[in-house]
Amino acid sequence: MVRTNRENLLEVALKGEITHSAVAPSYTTGWDERPRLGLGRGGIVYNVKVGDPCFGWAMGEKVEPGASADGVGEAREKGAFRNLSCVGNRVRVVDGEAKGEWGTVVGKVGYIPGGGHHVVIDFGEETLEKLTIGDKVQVRAVGVGLKLVDYPGVRVISCSPALLEAMGLGERGGRLVVPVAKVVPAEYVGQGHGGSPPEASNWDIQTQSPDAVAHVEDLRFGDVVLLEDTLSAWGRGYYEGAVTVGVVSCGPSEALGQGIGVTTLLTCKEGEIEARVDLNANLKKQLGIGGGQG
Amino acid sequence: MIETNRDRLLVIAVQGEIVSPASTGYRAQWDGQPKLALGMGGIKYNLRVGDPCFGWASGDHVEPGVTIRGKEDPVPSRCALALLACIGNEAVVVSGEAKGEKGVFTGRHAGSDDLVWFPPETIEKLAIGDKVQIRAVGVGLRIKGFEDIRVNKCSPGLLKSLGIEVEDGKLVVPVVKEIPGYLMGSGIGAGTVLESVDYDIQTTDPKAVEKHGLETLRLGDVVCLRDQLCTSGRGYYKGAITIGVVVHGASDYSGHGPGVNPILSTKEGRIETRIDPDANIALYLGLRDKL
Repeated sequence: MVRTNRENLLEVALKGEITHSAVAPSYTTGWDERPRLGLGRGGIVYNVKVGDPCFGWAMGEKVEPGASADGVGEAREKGAFRNLSCVGNRVRVVDGEAKGEWGTVVGKVGYIPGGGHHVVIDFGEETLEKLTIGDKVQVRAVGVGLKLVDYPGVRVISCSPALLEAMGLGERGGRLVVPVAKVVPAEYVGQGHGGSPPEASNWDIQTQSPDAVAHVEDLRFGDVVLLEDTLSAWGRGYYEGAVTVGVVSCGPSEALGQGIGVTTLLTCKEGEIEARVDLNANLKKQLGIGGGQG
Repeated sequence: MIETNRDRLLVIAVQGEIVSPASTGYRAQWDGQPKLALGMGGIKYNLRVGDPCFGWASGDHVEPGVTIRGKEDPVPSRCALALLACIGNEAVVVSGEAKGEKGVFTGRHAGSDDLVWFPPETIEKLAIGDKVQIRAVGVGLRIKGFEDIRVNKCSPGLLKSLGIEVEDGKLVVPVVKEIPGYLMGSGIGAGTVLESVDYDIQTTDPKAVEKHGLETLRLGDVVCLRDQLCTSGRGYYKGAITIGVVVHGASDYSGHGPGVNPILSTKEGRIETRIDPDANIALYLGLRDKL
């Protein structure tokens, strides 16, 4: 078992609200210079869950599975919601018809036009039916400060202890072995470069060039992936030999430089992490959530 | 010699004001160290187009000359200045002590804004808040026989001075350096408008900086970005080629570095390059005699 400092982590409450669906006020222009009206970004998406395919949704643009929430109040309060919530954290609905029911953070997505961010939340089918846009949610946030005691070169970002323990991490020859559904080369990694802090928002795997699409067309929401030659320690950028491990939290895009959103979970600079490809490396299995499991 | 539709381009006035530098204290560098940066915004007395991108003490994203910003919309990138001004356009000071004196538009840095070269004697007279007007011409510019090549933020004067030749149905463009697409960072995927946003050649991996000789880059250099398509937005596309102008300096923030305004882009490989260490807009536009 990989040792952590879990017992030293603070657990705090964060307040958020289920967002509206983020739709551009006019057609946006895709990479092929054709106009589009994309949908599925944030709000409540009833029929896409963790475990479902990323591609194939009609006019879908950066589709987020389940429900999405953002922080409320001043910028610093929104900052707390965005930066401190971690994938795998439990979320309680605190008003409305679904009051008292629980969900799970499955990703964080930034770069929403207008400056919004979305914490993507998986709820069971029955809860999703009761939710309304504007309902308040409270995240029981734990994970910021999480460390792998024996791997000081690995930075843990936006990853709850519950998820870290469920990821099936192994050890071999002094390196951390992480099961991932796919390894993605740096040339396909797009928006997210230069973003800081890495705790807020995401990287994108670009989905316009045919070779890039062919490489990732079987990805599913909730897949754990490894991005080669990317460092996400104190900001996101290219760094030869570094790796970022993250979770797929939104779907592909027709906009140049954008695509499948990946929320950072682990990063290292000097090769401390090694990938083991495992098609079951998905939050649906790891956290027992998503499509068909309520 | 290339032919264009320059006689059909509208020439219009757009305006901005010289903005103050901004600072919010320390920011984390790529390696976790804090940095109090300068060089963005306002008036830079000793930094001009043609100077090195690297090496300025505490400098980050350094912008040559004078930085102005459109004011008719609260979001600078939605102002006419951001969208319509093209590199090589004529600028004129329209208020303050330097009123009537002329300069040249040299690019747009989305992080701080629109950059103008003025002669040293004019810069001494300028004050933060002075208004600068640009004779904007270049939007809609097309090269005859190469209408599939996207021309962006490039005045007819700059296009003519680039030394472009036509060989075997392709444009041959002199560039200082070839940059692999995977080094393109901040700004990639940032919206679907090309004109108002630059994007960065990442300089926060010391190994990559050395491997690709990035430390010799200069402000105003014309560079080639491999596998990068810049039509509506900016991003990776296998085989695409983009030619751009370096508008601001290097950075220590993860994913950042010298910013590039794309000026020519093709999906179909209709551009070839020829390496020329003097491919810099300071020489092309007559802003200095040598680098």
